[in-house]
Amino acid sequence: MATTNVFPGHILTPPTLSNLKLGPGLYQQRDRDGQTSIIATRAGTLHKSGKNKYYVESNGRRYVPAAQEPVVGVVTARSGESYRVDIGSAHPATLDALAFEGASKRNRPQLKVGSLVYARVSLANKDLEPELECFDAQTRKADGFGELKGGLVISCSLGLARKLLDPAHFLLPLLGTKFALDAAIGVNGRIWFKTATPKQTIAISRCIQAVDEDQLDAQALNVFLNTLDI
Amino acid sequence: MANRRRGNGDEENPNGEGIQVCSSQMSLVLPGQPLSASTKAGDGVYMDANGVSRASLIATFKNDSVQVPKGRASAPSENAIVIGTVVRLNSQQATISITIVNGVPLPQGDEYVGIIRSQDVRATEKDKVKIGDCFRGGDIVAGQVISLGDSRSYYVSTAHNDLGVLYATSSSGYPMEPYSWESMYCPQDQSIEPRKCARPTVDYSQLQLRP
Repeated sequence: MATTNVFPGHILTPPTLSNLKLGPGLYQQRDRDGQTSIIATRAGTLHKSGKNKYYVESNGRRYVPAAQEPVVGVVTARSGESYRVDIGSAHPATLDALAFEGASKRNRPQLKVGSLVYARVSLANKDLEPELECFDAQTRKADGFGELKGGLVISCSLGLARKLLDPAHFLLPLLGTKFALDAAIGVNGRIWFKTATPKQTIAISRCIQAVDEDQLDAQALNVFLNTLDI
Repeated sequence: MANRRRGNGDEENPNGEGIQVCSSQMSLVLPGQPLSASTKAGDGVYMDANGVSRASLIATFKNDSVQVPKGRASAPSENAIVIGTVVRLNSQQATISITIVNGVPLPQGDEYVGIIRSQDVRATEKDKVKIGDCFRGGDIVAGQVISLGDSRSYYVSTAHNDLGVLYATSSSGYPMEPYSWESMYCPQDQSIEPRKCARPTVDYSQLQLRP
């Protein structure tokens, strides 16, 4: 199975059914006479990782929360001991007021409605509302999570957000050589960044949109950047 | 031994009480039917405003007592064992739709709503309960009514070895078997999912809680 394009409902025939690991986008269906078939549930390309793990790499704009993913959220309400945060999923997420580094009952961050947070999804299953935390539960250190002050958030596709998390991707290092940049990438398709002047902010926002929508590569992006007035 | 006829009264029965049953025979009684004077109020019997004891059910009457038929559906009472399906879940409680009370299934459309609060899920470490690790939507759960609650729902507890999830399906849709008190195993895709399981019992309608 070389990289093949699959659609939802596409029935796949793996080389061997024993010890097969199905990653995101694949589903094992057994019908009444015990026949097994592997079906793709997303539109995208089929990839193989390791010896026998397969998954579907797909792009989209609708975020489905999964545990341990970093997301950028907006606080929409404060109820008692926790905040309601919009992360672009079907249900708003809950962020406990004590899930911050160094927070105790007496000393806790005072987030206002409308403030931005960079958090990690701690619990996500289809029956419950997703839960977020702004620290590493084991070490209790912030690790970069917490409130995001100033800056701008833009939306992009989920595929680009995941690619930007890879440090080898060209976009952010390229932009970083041009101007001082502080960025937080949420896999929910939201990118927050902060620069010195509004012109630079607009330039970065246009670059990210260009890479997302027009699929520019490093060279084309350089050309594009030179046309901008910064 | 004669059954008196209904009427507006006669010499012996000036108030016209209607058909009155005789105590020594076993006979069928209807709701509202007066019973013999020595019948005490209780299951199936009530006292009306004139102090006459009457039947409240269709039942058999023998020896001054009404035999309430077995297998009759009733509303949950305190300490009743109920079985229901989880319909809603949030981090504080699980909402179940109660369909069986004390082994008797309720008529269709007549389900009651029960709430299992996170502190009533299990008996130990009640404050550290993660409800997503105990129940999921669609699980069939056995519980015990701890309170008649408010107008919206009963309060149910699963804090006992014999109470908890009876039947659940895995994320791929196959039925799972209880693996331990806190997990279930899916034989089809060999996955283990956390649930608060009930101790396997052969006949859930006869569930007697053992400590």
